[in-house]
Amino acid sequence: MNRNFKFKGLIAGALLCGLIGCGGGEKKESDAGSPFPRSKTLYLAGSQWGDPTTFNPMADVWASTWPVGKGAFNLVYEPLLSFNALDGKFEPCLGSLVSKSGDEIVIDINPEATWSDGQRVSAADVKFIFEIGRRFKDAPTAINAEYFTEIKVEKVQNNGVETERLTFVVEKKVRNNPLIILDHITQTRIVPSHIWEKALADNGNDLSAVQKIPVDGSAVVSGPYKTEAATNEKVVLKRRDDYWGNKALFGGKKPVPEFIIHPIFKSNDAFSIALQKGELDGSQTFIPRIWMKQKDGVKTWFDQAPYFLAGAVPIFVMNTTKAPTNDKNFRRAMAAAINYNDVKELAVSGYSPDIQPGLIMAGIGIEGKYFNADDAKQFGVSYDPERAKKILADAGYKSVYKADGTLDYMTDKKGTKLPTLFIKSPAGWSDWEAIVTIAVKGLRAAGIDAREGFVDASLYWPARGSGDFDILLTKPDNAVLPSTPWSRFFNVMTSSTWRPIGQNMNENYGRYNNPKSKEFNPMVEKLLKEIPTLSDPAKLSEAYRALNKIFMIEQPAIPLAYLPEQFYEFSETRWTGWPTAADPYAPPLLPWVGASTKILWQLQLAK
Amino acid sequence: MLKQYPTLRYILQRGGWYFITFVVAVAINFYLPRLGSNNPVKIIMGNTSQGLSSEAVKEKEEKYLKEFGLVKVKNGNIVRNEDGSPVKASILEQFISYVGMCFKGDLGTSFQKYPKKVLDVIKEAVPWTIALQLPTILFGWIVGNVLGALAAYKRGIFDKVFFPISLLLSSLPFFVFGMLLVYQFAVVWDCFPAMGGYAGDLIPTFSWAFFSSAAYHYVLPFFSIFLIAAGGQAIGMRSMGIYELGTDYIKYAKWLGLKETRIIAYLFRNAMLPQLTGLALSLGTMIGGALITEMIFSYPGLGMAMLTAIQNNDYPMIQGCTLLITVCVLIANFTVDILIGFLDPRVKAGLQIGKGK
Repeated sequence: MNRNFKFKGLIAGALLCGLIGCGGGEKKESDAGSPFPRSKTLYLAGSQWGDPTTFNPMADVWASTWPVGKGAFNLVYEPLLSFNALDGKFEPCLGSLVSKSGDEIVIDINPEATWSDGQRVSAADVKFIFEIGRRFKDAPTAINAEYFTEIKVEKVQNNGVETERLTFVVEKKVRNNPLIILDHITQTRIVPSHIWEKALADNGNDLSAVQKIPVDGSAVVSGPYKTEAATNEKVVLKRRDDYWGNKALFGGKKPVPEFIIHPIFKSNDAFSIALQKGELDGSQTFIPRIWMKQKDGVKTWFDQAPYFLAGAVPIFVMNTTKAPTNDKNFRRAMAAAINYNDVKELAVSGYSPDIQPGLIMAGIGIEGKYFNADDAKQFGVSYDPERAKKILADAGYKSVYKADGTLDYMTDKKGTKLPTLFIKSPAGWSDWEAIVTIAVKGLRAAGIDAREGFVDASLYWPARGSGDFDILLTKPDNAVLPSTPWSRFFNVMTSSTWRPIGQNMNENYGRYNNPKSKEFNPMVEKLLKEIPTLSDPAKLSEAYRALNKIFMIEQPAIPLAYLPEQFYEFSETRWTGWPTAADPYAPPLLPWVGASTKILWQLQLAK
Repeated sequence: MLKQYPTLRYILQRGGWYFITFVVAVAINFYLPRLGSNNPVKIIMGNTSQGLSSEAVKEKEEKYLKEFGLVKVKNGNIVRNEDGSPVKASILEQFISYVGMCFKGDLGTSFQKYPKKVLDVIKEAVPWTIALQLPTILFGWIVGNVLGALAAYKRGIFDKVFFPISLLLSSLPFFVFGMLLVYQFAVVWDCFPAMGGYAGDLIPTFSWAFFSSAAYHYVLPFFSIFLIAAGGQAIGMRSMGIYELGTDYIKYAKWLGLKETRIIAYLFRNAMLPQLTGLALSLGTMIGGALITEMIFSYPGLGMAMLTAIQNNDYPMIQGCTLLITVCVLIANFTVDILIGFLDPRVKAGLQIGKGK
């Protein structure tokens, strides 16, 4: 704040105070007396919204606080490996990847990795958290254990250093999915078993009781930071100068910021204002028209459209158990009726490249190579209102218009009146609402009787799993994982976890490809089972192509845009050295997620 | 009984009614959130079940149902129907256990902020809410009423300028005014902080740095509420004043040739009565927080906590907040009732007549 501003501030304050003749308050910045000097503190936001609850690493993910819960945050507890979505490589963390195949994944534990109490990170720690599902079915990482039969531990010599080698043996009968094991290895953070095993013993082996143990900054951790303080307005992390990885992974350097503060804001505007004012150094929220903020130093991965690196696909899922969305012709007509360019330009502020038919993001990241342009042309449906009308007419659908020319309803080929289709989406998510509104406009123009169905988020979540919708807007993948894009196909198309409408299903919300129906296409399940086990690139490419072809023909869902995995925004007002498309040394994620954690060692104070 | 103590009788009678109101309000607050078909555990599971096997999902769901007291439990085990599904606890059973817990001073555990206690959430938020709301309401009320009474009595040019300004202020929505303040003072002029209850680099402590920072951050949120509240009060007082000016007793007083200050005092006292009730109501509801202000300024307080609780069917949190609001509204109203009993000659007269019976 320069003197001029201060002066204006005093005048403004005096004016405001003068209105009622009472003292307004002290007008000065508290920088000098702050326990967290700005030059040593990095401000990042967007991962914690509500009050901090617990930093207990055993607690359920939804109930724990950043940086312990909700995502692959590597600051306090660390995973074995980090996945770099830019090059598809596995970067060492607590362990390093030795080999992976369809049968086993071999990882060496970093012999230098230690807990903050000085104990070595050991195979016992890894086994504790990975195999906890065999003891407690409802533990947050319980699912891990279903994918391997065992974790073999042996001692090997690496350049004369005794190292523990872990071999995850892929469970072949039911899951047979090494991709998911890799997801788990990069997402599951290891906790010190000597602490938590004891906590379990002290609490009569009751996991619920252990999950409620309060945890503070004195907890035994392995990461480069520890929790320093938490209030309802912020979470503060402090650098651990004795972090093992400084020497083992970063050539003796320490992370540059001594403190990381995550302010907890109550509205989206706050992020944008704080970034523009240089009070926030990085954020991950949707800020419309980000190019208007560039003059205030708010930057993104690309400095022009689409600004962000794509990583996730929002889709419309259609309920395939009822008419008319059970008809693939109808679904294809819908896909042809939506103006994807409007979605891109108007709903998501241009933060998407042009999209192509199919469920693979054409030209994006590691998966881009699986896209086949000829197939897309031959089998896919793009925006084409005339084609939409033609498909509908060919399939016998008729639109009935009112006297004033507006759409009244639609009939199928038997002449039965069809119900209005509602597109369910959480109310108040402005970019999602805009997507739905644009889609409704296109659908109605093509003669399809669709309407917006905005509901409270608390109603949206249960409706999603139980299939209580006509059409649903959802985003099947939230992060680029080792299993992407397989996981996207699985989330959209699998019927291996089939539950009827009314019961909860975590994939395939639209109940596509009922295994008990006549139309069941066994090829979908076969390909979904096969892809994770393939390591030959040519075969893998072939399998993805076949699966994407089925997706385009049957159209169980409609991809709408390619959005970023995270809206990675940063300001260079205080700190420089952020990765960008021009200097892609880390993926476009805030420096606490997976392979992007290394940004912390690269930042410099702005001059 | 108590015939010879009409005031005491009045207070007891009022107190009795307030107690009944309290019981009914608590019951309704308890019942209403449970009317919807949406069960809070389903909301949590919708967020958390990704990637779990259906068996684990079921186990987890039952764990929460049991933990939150939504199913019947016998000897630590869930009571089950013949098909193995847990037997839901009826609303009456939930109510009884809730009242029992309340008497022990336990408002339960928040579902959404699990494993945080409702009481802790309230304790953390309420000081901020009171610090923001109490001064704005009181100052707004006093300043508004004085200005309103003046406008009513003086009329002329003062009123002609003052009235439209108050009208404008009082009809401005909070969020528009708040955003205008942020834009002008925090973004364009950059002389006040745009958000937060204190500087981003501080932790609340009993220190000069914290309190001065809190005071600095207080200015914009304060004015965003104060000006609008004062405007509204002033309009109310002005019209009440003008009405009272035309009443017989004022005319009579003038005719008697009483001093002007005396007449204004009478006028003010009578015109103030409805305003006083209004004040009581706003003081009572203030504890619910200034949601819009909290959101615009990312200001700490109870409003946001309540909003998320309602959105997520967080029963214990909703109950805790509404209980607090109920108690505050009733206490505030009760106090005003008693005060009016002393201030309002008509009520006093009523009491006198009661004595005669």
